[in-house]
Amino acid sequence: MDIVVCLKQVVDPELPARDFAIDPATQRQVREGRPLVISTYDENALEVALQLKDRIGGKVTVLTLGPAAASGDAIRLALAMGADEAVVVDDSEAPQRLGAAKARLLAAALRRLGRFDLVLCGCESADWVERVVGPLLAEALQAACVTFVSRIEQVDGTLLVRRLADEGFHLVEVRPPAVLAVTSDESNRPRLPKVKDIMTARRKPVHTWPVAEVAGQAGEEGPLEVEVRQVTLPERTARCEFLSGDPGEQAAALVQRLRELKLL
Amino acid sequence: MDFALSEEHRLIQAAVREFAAKEILPVAADLDHHPRFPAEIIARAASLGLLGLNVPQEYGGAGLDGLANVIVQEELARASAGVQTIITVQNSLVCDPILRFGTPEQKSRYLPRLATGEWLGCYCLTEPEAGSDAMAVRTRAEQRDGQWVLNGRKLFVTNGLEAQLAIVYARSEPAPGARGISAFLVEKSFPGISVGRVEQKLGIKCSSTVEILLEDCRVPAENLLGERGEGARVALSTLDGGRIGIAAQAVGIARACLEDCVAHAQARQQFGRPLKAFQAVQWALADMATRIDAARLLTYRAAWLRDRGDRCTAEAAMAKLVASETAMWAAHRAVQLFGGYGYIQDYPVERYFRDAKITEIYEGTSEIQRLIISRQVLDGR
Repeated sequence: MDIVVCLKQVVDPELPARDFAIDPATQRQVREGRPLVISTYDENALEVALQLKDRIGGKVTVLTLGPAAASGDAIRLALAMGADEAVVVDDSEAPQRLGAAKARLLAAALRRLGRFDLVLCGCESADWVERVVGPLLAEALQAACVTFVSRIEQVDGTLLVRRLADEGFHLVEVRPPAVLAVTSDESNRPRLPKVKDIMTARRKPVHTWPVAEVAGQAGEEGPLEVEVRQVTLPERTARCEFLSGDPGEQAAALVQRLRELKLL
Repeated sequence: MDFALSEEHRLIQAAVREFAAKEILPVAADLDHHPRFPAEIIARAASLGLLGLNVPQEYGGAGLDGLANVIVQEELARASAGVQTIITVQNSLVCDPILRFGTPEQKSRYLPRLATGEWLGCYCLTEPEAGSDAMAVRTRAEQRDGQWVLNGRKLFVTNGLEAQLAIVYARSEPAPGARGISAFLVEKSFPGISVGRVEQKLGIKCSSTVEILLEDCRVPAENLLGERGEGARVALSTLDGGRIGIAAQAVGIARACLEDCVAHAQARQQFGRPLKAFQAVQWALADMATRIDAARLLTYRAAWLRDRGDRCTAEAAMAKLVASETAMWAAHRAVQLFGGYGYIQDYPVERYFRDAKITEIYEGTSEIQRLIISRQVLDGR
């Protein structure tokens, strides 16, 4: 089975809030000087792909859209975890692009890649949280799409995937080619690479395609579906509220307050 | 001169940092308060390739260089110096001498078992009368019926309780001092080797430290490691690498002190201000950061020299001396900065304080490191 995993590099979401900044000119998050990591759910998607490869064999290709110069660590990590090869669509504008434009370029890159049975991506990116790339990619590729996939249950005969739903899950039968937008659960916690595999990852093929070549295949650029006018940091305020009464009354009042705040 | 780590080194650092943070750090305090061998962690470390870091891939190892080793050791020690001790002994004191001095048969027999964690190894040099004076080894090796027969007592053997393989130094020749010593690969299943006293220690408690007894221990002739009578060369070369590993351990402990102090200085309020607003605290943190960086650079330099195949005895000694004294000093400052909280077991800094002390003692005390460095300075040797 040929599996392609779309990986996005984002500024490490675990950085302290003081390192988060907006560039007023581009209205985008400042990336310079911040460590980049593979977007959280994309790593889960890679893990699902690698588990599938461990079970039935096949090939896992990782595909990333971004400045090639800054993609090295993410690509090497993915290859060290067990991916077989990588394609970098070298696009210095990638951090400015939103989901619809990205989906169009990724679809073009996938067409150029040719063979694939499954395309996996994270259900949302850790920075923009748009949740559109998976479905738009499926639309562009005329492929089936399942969102919020946590694991692949069965592969012989039919492909059965688990889709997380409110208070349970769906089992969805899918016919490849399909796009799966992956969420996290305990079964797809990303593996740590073996140190030996970090060294041998260098020997695996990495193809770099200039975005202009890929964009040409993407056809006419569509209208800009979303325009970001302004990005602002949320204001954080803290205030302290004292509850009176005996412990029983305080507990009851606390529960009521938490319910009012929709925290319970 | 390039101070940047390579992409591989950065990824190895990130992977081991994550392993240490998620799988070692959460149990580090418990392993200290209720000392026991962390079998699951060591098995996990083995599966990631951390028990045979410098062993070539043809022998089942990771095939990394010495710089990667110190990067890994710092990350492990930042989480638990005890766990890291177990792993650094395997890499630096057991795999390394087999790699450098072993025959092809010895490498094929032992390295795959050690690199995959199937076997743990230990290093038996110290004796009751041979501590800092390491070449005063009294354990005897005699040839009998085409075999070697070993008799003696070895002390302070890290991993000795769990190890399946021991590298034992014994006097095989009548010559005194360094000249009469040979090194042997002794499997625990050989007749005549046993574990004696199990020591209770101040720190690094989850690693075992034991006495190893050799009573007419029969060792096949082919288990001589290196040339006959050349054991001192094996021991001293091994200790160069071992000291670089200890330096990395000390840097890891010191970094733990700094990171915990920074968090505490930001969170803790006194006199209506966070601790970090006091200049005395700022300067303490600045000094810590500076000394840690200096220690790390000396450690990297020593590892780099050894990777090039250059002699690095004095540089390894300098790295260990500076790093271990930095760790002890940083731990001392950390306990003070935490005040009462630094003295109780609810916070990890008292553990860092206890763990740091060993780095000034084992694999050559600070006094011995100064002796080695002064020989280089005075006599150029």
